[in-house]
Amino acid sequence: MKNSHWFQVVGAAAVTVGMAVNAPVAMADGDADLLVVAKASDPQTLDPAQTMDNNDWTVTYPLYQRLVAYDVSEDGKGLTSVIGELASTWTASDDGTVWTFDLASGNAFSDGATVDAAAVEYSFNRLMDLGRGPSEAFPGGMKVEATGDMQVTFTLEQPFAPFLYTLANNGAGIVNPAVEGKGDDHGTEWLSANSAGSGAYMLTGWERGQSLVLEPNPNYGGATPEIEKIRVDIIAEAAARRLKLEAGDVHIAESLPVDQLDALGSKDGIEVQNYPSLKVTYLYLNNKVAPLDNVDVRRAISAAVDYQGIIDGILDGNGVQMHGPIPEGMWGQNKNATQYSYDLTSAKKALDVAGGASEEISFLYSDRDPLWEPIAIATQAYLSQLGLNVKLEKLANATMRERFDTGEFGIATGNWSPDFADPYMFTNYWFDSKRHGLAGNRSWYSNDKVDGLLQQAVVSSDTAERTALYGELQEIVTDEAAYVYLFQKDYRIAVRDDVEGFVFNPMLEDIFNFGGMSLSD
Amino acid sequence: MSDATVSVNPIKRVLSRVDWGYLWYQIKKSPLTLGGGAVVLIVLFLVIFAPVFATHDPNAIDLRARLAAPGWEHFFGTDEVGRDLYSRILYGGRQSVAVGFFVVLVAGFIGTFVGAFAGLIGGRVDVVIMRLMDVVLSVPSLVLIMALAAALGPSLINAAIAIALVRIPIYVRISRGQTLLIREMSFVTAAETFKASKLHILRWHILPNILSPVMVQATLDLGSTILLASALSFIGLGAQQPTAEWGAMVATGRNYILDQWWYSAFPGFAILITATAFNLLGDGIRDILDPKQKAR
Amino acid sequence: MSFLNVIRRRLMFLILVLFGVTVITFTISNLIPGDPARMIAGDRATPEIVQNIREDLGLDKPLPIQYLRYLEGVVQGDFGNSIRTRRPVLEDLRIFFPATLELALTALFFATALGIPLGVASAVWKDKPIDHFVRVIAVTGISTPAFWLGLLVILLFYGNLGWLPSGGRIDPSLEMPTRVTGFLMIDSLLAGDLTAFGSALKHILLPAFTLGFVHLGVVARQVRAAMLEELQQDYIRTAKANGLSRFKVVFTEALPNAMIPSITVLGLALGDLLYGAVLTETVFAWPGMGAYVVNSIQALDFPAVMGFTVVVSLAYVLINLAVDLIYMAVDPRIREVS
Repeated sequence: MKNSHWFQVVGAAAVTVGMAVNAPVAMADGDADLLVVAKASDPQTLDPAQTMDNNDWTVTYPLYQRLVAYDVSEDGKGLTSVIGELASTWTASDDGTVWTFDLASGNAFSDGATVDAAAVEYSFNRLMDLGRGPSEAFPGGMKVEATGDMQVTFTLEQPFAPFLYTLANNGAGIVNPAVEGKGDDHGTEWLSANSAGSGAYMLTGWERGQSLVLEPNPNYGGATPEIEKIRVDIIAEAAARRLKLEAGDVHIAESLPVDQLDALGSKDGIEVQNYPSLKVTYLYLNNKVAPLDNVDVRRAISAAVDYQGIIDGILDGNGVQMHGPIPEGMWGQNKNATQYSYDLTSAKKALDVAGGASEEISFLYSDRDPLWEPIAIATQAYLSQLGLNVKLEKLANATMRERFDTGEFGIATGNWSPDFADPYMFTNYWFDSKRHGLAGNRSWYSNDKVDGLLQQAVVSSDTAERTALYGELQEIVTDEAAYVYLFQKDYRIAVRDDVEGFVFNPMLEDIFNFGGMSLSD
Repeated sequence: MSDATVSVNPIKRVLSRVDWGYLWYQIKKSPLTLGGGAVVLIVLFLVIFAPVFATHDPNAIDLRARLAAPGWEHFFGTDEVGRDLYSRILYGGRQSVAVGFFVVLVAGFIGTFVGAFAGLIGGRVDVVIMRLMDVVLSVPSLVLIMALAAALGPSLINAAIAIALVRIPIYVRISRGQTLLIREMSFVTAAETFKASKLHILRWHILPNILSPVMVQATLDLGSTILLASALSFIGLGAQQPTAEWGAMVATGRNYILDQWWYSAFPGFAILITATAFNLLGDGIRDILDPKQKAR
Repeated sequence: MSFLNVIRRRLMFLILVLFGVTVITFTISNLIPGDPARMIAGDRATPEIVQNIREDLGLDKPLPIQYLRYLEGVVQGDFGNSIRTRRPVLEDLRIFFPATLELALTALFFATALGIPLGVASAVWKDKPIDHFVRVIAVTGISTPAFWLGLLVILLFYGNLGWLPSGGRIDPSLEMPTRVTGFLMIDSLLAGDLTAFGSALKHILLPAFTLGFVHLGVVARQVRAAMLEELQQDYIRTAKANGLSRFKVVFTEALPNAMIPSITVLGLALGDLLYGAVLTETVFAWPGMGAYVVNSIQALDFPAVMGFTVVVSLAYVLINLAVDLIYMAVDPRIREVS
């Protein structure tokens, strides 16, 4: 290039800088057709048959429809019961093993293809054939068959009480069979970054690490959504998410620390909404390793934790202590089960019964939940009052999962939220000795009697009978201090006050009903 | 190990050869070096006697006094579980300084011997060693350290080992280069004609002469190692709770930067001051001990 | 030594580096405790599901076989699929690499634009206050924790003053310019979109400053050293004796010659900046390779980690090659010797 050209380019650039730097940028607030959600990290994959992460579901859930959906009450509260979404009606055989669904007409994928029985059959076969995380929610040996153009039949090997609810999971989203032609392995690579659903919205853009754009599905069978464009911005720093919310650049800011939410509540134009949730935080006590294999050591630990101190000090009071494994708001909770409270005298007594404990106890946590670190530090301090030697280990989440599965740990922090409103989600996962490790029984708890109760409860469809069975179970597992049942806390989210129609459902954390939401001017 | 006995004498020899009076005279002439050295001494003093200067137990939590602002009760405020930040910064310095010295000693020691060995033996062994070092040097060091630290398991000592391993090639290069130079000098060739063993040559001729540039490099490395260790702690691969460490404190504090800026500002400032002091001192000592490099 | 010789030797070394780097990263990635299959299987995964995923990803094979398979792919330009994003690693890197390069080059520009004048001033006024000042700047630069400096400038320029954005590459409400080079500032100019250009420029200022500050001092010190050497040369004295003004001597005679040895330092600095961006990108949510590799390490996504290391190591070797060639081209002395 000749010299003179260089000067022109540089000159042009200089002028441009001067003009462009001060150019006004459209604010999200001023645009009634655009809703911006700020979240901390990029989704990993958008394939409903692969993702097991609520962070991905924010985007995937509105892209797809399912046979059933969670109902909403008259006054706009998320319910734990389901109604038909793609299905108009359904029947179950008396023994609960054969389920027949008739599909509603008029639902279509974003490319215009009709959502028919073949698509439903394809989606479930794809899900089970890939055999990734989301397939776990469905009973093994389940057969799905299109028994008509618009009729699907599910055949189970044995009755499974919560079956209907599993169909509202993110993994049960119905995928356009056209993805089969997008590549090997049922088009997984393509579907990881694209959408092929019949939901209210479809994915129209994804700048990695920056933002995703959803726009209405033109062939959507339901009422046309009001918001013309949804943008999900990836903003890693909590402080930046908060400032953007304050400035009106975003409408909804996810996962803000407790302290920031309190500061935000008083700001103009911002509302901090609280919803009762079924999400619980608890500690796994590895029942297989010394000294935690001794029930009295576990009892001592359970009595040495200052539950109220953690709730007041770390959660700023926004939580309640759990009463056994089943949270408040879920049926089947047994109030007669033991609830430990902070009582050093009885903790020391229990430890004396156990004959003391000198082993070093490892305590694992990760940065997945910012509350885990203060909880770990506090617990270590509490247990040191008993003379227990606790060593904290902050791990990458992947490494921590490995240790859960191999059982090489003493104590660890965990969060749990149910996929459907059935105590099964807590009891059968946490205590079944067949689910040791990552699968759910993270405490490696074993009790034949408990296993028997769980088996009886899962095949019964009589709620009263199941309540009784689970009630007995709760008395055993709290007495044996299988876990440290810490707290249940509200779902809190900060939104601009012009956002209307958001319905929170405790089964759908981090998921927004974009199709039913709107922005007031 | 015989290596240890070998190394004592050369160091003594080098130290006895240093003209301390001249060194002091040179340091006095350079206000920046003097200032750096003084701050290093102050930092060392403060962290060694941390229990004396601390006002609180650095690990004592108080959930009712979380995130308190700086004041008389807590000079630098408190963290998210109510621990005193001033005391934690004092104790945290122990980790940083210890890691700095550990890395420099381990990497310097291993690197010097491997380099001298390669230079002395020559031939294929030399080629293999040096190519290996070249390869290690072309791997992005931070990523290598991160992966190593993750593989060894997150703890400060593992982070230090990871940093030391990655630093070795630098010392290998310096030490080999010096060895090659010295080998050609007349007193070594003379020793060789008298059939002195390689070990003898290494001990009495090579090591004493390469220690000076190695020590210059080591002083310079102290500052950058302290930075690197805090960076690892910042991304969670270094010190573990409840141990206080500066990088880890900055990392946790970033969540509170809008309302409690002091939480990450003070520990970060501590890193800055300490690293700057070590670097100023190292820079000055290099100028004095290694006049060839002075201009750089 | 001829150009061709240099190129041949460097390319041979490149193969060695490629092999060495993949062996080292593969070994270390597999030493990290944890199973990527468990990571993507999610909560509640049964051992059967984990095993199923392991088979799908080929993780059930012995490590040497896994390595050979990987190498076989790399030779054919296939870096495998990322475990985390399920997409080809090369595809992911193609998206993230230009962002990192744009940041590194801007930081380098910043470091040289300020570093060279500072270096010159400090050589011309050696041992004067300006010289001490430059030394302090240089030492502070290499002593500042970039992750901390980043937080402070965000707090100041975004939190308090509200002048500049806190993170990202461009205002997300703007239409992204058509991708040509992958450099947003260039692509937006090519598209004639001044608003996008302004936004991209605003977004890059803070991270580039933070990243460049570390190298500012290195550049200044190098220029100072080279200038001091040149200013002592005979030709300068001759020029002075011939009555050339001091300004002319410094800028037209000494500086061009002093820049030659500085090329090496600049080349090395670019290499450092490329992977030094890891922490800066994390703090500024800059969607580049650095943030990508940190997330990948956390998720045990070793195809992604290896893809990153291979690409950056390659870049490192190629930059060195380029430096050597430029060096030979501009410095007549080196050519004459060979």
